Amino acid sequence: MIEIEALTKTYGGRPVVDGVTARFARGTLTAIVGSSGSGKTTLLRMINRLVEPSAGRVLIDGKDVARIPEVSLRQGIGYVIQGYGLFPHWTAARNIGVVPTLLGWPRSRIKARTQELLHMLQLDPAEIGPRYPHQLSGGQAQRIGVARALAARPEVLLMDEPFGALDPLIRRQAQRDLTRIRRQLGTTVVLVTHDMNEALYLGDAIAVMRDGRFEQFGPPEDIVRAPATPFVADLVGETGRALRLLALKPVGTLLRAGQAQGDPVDAAASLSDALAEMIWTGRDRLPVVDGRGQGLGIVTRDDILAAGRQAPPA
Amino acid sequence: MPRPRIDRLSAVLALPLLAAPALSAFGLRPNRIAQPQALGWAEAFGAPTAAALAAGTLLLVVALLLLRRPGLRMLLLAAALAGLILMLGRGAAILLEQAAPAARVSPGLGFWLAAGVLVLLLVDAFARMQPGPAPRAALLAATLAAVAALLGSGVLADLSVAAEFRLRAAAFHKATADHLVLAFGSFLAALAVGLPAGLAIQRHRALRAPVLNLLTLIQTIPSIALFGMLIVPLAWIAAHVPAAAEAGIRGIGMAPALVALFLYSLLPIVANTVAGVDAVPPAVAEAAAGMGMTGAQRLRMVELPLALPVILAAARIVLVQNIGLATVGALIGSGGYGTFIFQGIGQTATDLILLGVLPTVALAFLTSAVLDLVIASFRMQPP
Repeated sequence: MIEIEALTKTYGGRPVVDGVTARFARGTLTAIVGSSGSGKTTLLRMINRLVEPSAGRVLIDGKDVARIPEVSLRQGIGYVIQGYGLFPHWTAARNIGVVPTLLGWPRSRIKARTQELLHMLQLDPAEIGPRYPHQLSGGQAQRIGVARALAARPEVLLMDEPFGALDPLIRRQAQRDLTRIRRQLGTTVVLVTHDMNEALYLGDAIAVMRDGRFEQFGPPEDIVRAPATPFVADLVGETGRALRLLALKPVGTLLRAGQAQGDPVDAAASLSDALAEMIWTGRDRLPVVDGRGQGLGIVTRDDILAAGRQAPPA
Repeated sequence: MPRPRIDRLSAVLALPLLAAPALSAFGLRPNRIAQPQALGWAEAFGAPTAAALAAGTLLLVVALLLLRRPGLRMLLLAAALAGLILMLGRGAAILLEQAAPAARVSPGLGFWLAAGVLVLLLVDAFARMQPGPAPRAALLAATLAAVAALLGSGVLADLSVAAEFRLRAAAFHKATADHLVLAFGSFLAALAVGLPAGLAIQRHRALRAPVLNLLTLIQTIPSIALFGMLIVPLAWIAAHVPAAAEAGIRGIGMAPALVALFLYSLLPIVANTVAGVDAVPPAVAEAAAGMGMTGAQRLRMVELPLALPVILAAARIVLVQNIGLATVGALIGSGGYGTFIFQGIGQTATDLILLGVLPTVALAFLTSAVLDLVIASFRMQPP
């Protein structure tokens, strides 16, 4: 768990991060969204002390990071940046092994860990491992950057616009990979992005940042359904809010008992995908199956439409 | 029938190459400081051989115009160059047999012209093969071996520079040692000071401008003036610090020359160290810090390796510059090849001047070629 307490950074008297307090739960991904200059990167860099706070503090699992020596703190936190910053004079394998090397792991263990990570990221160790960064595609370089950050099994992973340099198709794949790896490892992730769609897709929690403060901090559904300020509403977009909401929830949340005709939909698919399927095939209910194709029940059009409706005023 | 395509560089150089056999091949002097008398190939070998040489040159030019494969061109040119040098040595021997005992024979304009054109075409042919570091190293080694064989074989022993060398072999070896100490010693000292200084001002931006401006100012002082300026403070140190005097520090001699060359070496080393580390991509520097490298680890594992090609480029500049400038040190008694040059100027003895100039040029060329190779082999690895 990461706790941020009244965290402030001023440059020349001007606050860039202005008294932010928040708590990022263990094993979750928190996406910090904001435009450039909002202070989101500075906030991130105060967690691994690449920037020292002017006031306030950061606790990781209850320990004040200011009391942990810089070097060992950073070796224990994964860090992925835009452009990846791979060491151009080292092979992909050596790049991945950098933190274990700094930690003094034996060579055989570093090699085994490197191979394991390359497999996990669906890269062939024999083919990709010996390549230099300039011989890698953008998507491969991005995955090497993630593998390098995960090499020493950090509990916390910080990511600064990790997908910013990828084209849309590869970006979606990389985002899926991140979700998969995160579920597998249970790592706590803090991710900085300027892209609200990315934040909604990846985040368990979303912090919208502006002028050094959190305008709103909460689960994606709250951000879409009840934007706290006009700025947040603007970022989410007035139109299509219902569809965004439906995109956040899986079909499994609206299961009913019953029978339906035609091709089934996976319980993990989003409600928006199920709705699109209904419109396309002219049905008002779909059979729902689990990952192994086992029938679970049905999902109905009316339920989906209700789930996308504005919350009734309290 | 397709028109044969003519090699352009050969076409440009055909005229001087064709003219060369008609110009003087040798300069014959009755003694080492007399004015040379220009002699052609015919005077040494007779008219038929000279005519054959001219015909051979014509054939060579035609072949060069039509042959386009670089490998074949290189073979042909190397053979022609070897033949030319052998004829020079043989011709000198023939001419000396007929001349007075103190007479000297040196290469004439025609020889220099032909040799220059052949070397130029040879280098061009080699460059067209776009060689990697390994073939370049091989060519360098082959050239060195050929030069060593040529000097060792005695083929050129009758040339005047060789005669001059025989007179001063001991002094030449001493000069070589002094020259190497001057050029490489000052470089190593500048590296020991300049590298840390460059790293320091790369980190502390405020110091950059003053340090680089000061070093640039030093660079603008003419070498003779700097050698002269150092006499006074070093003489004072020698007079007041006994230990310094015992270590050989005096107002003239090796010490001021070493100091001056050291000062000239600083700017390229410091400036390139700054530029090399500056060129490390910001994302790479940030990643190195973010991964938890200490300052020393960042320097050793990331910054220095990435800056190395730029720093090596500075080493090349400095060494070539020092090898040349070290000759000026002879004016204040530092020793080195400059000694021969200034003595030769004083005596109007061209051979003595050449005895200083030729090894200086050869040393500078060799150093530059070796460092080019080292830099190229680093560039082969990414980035």
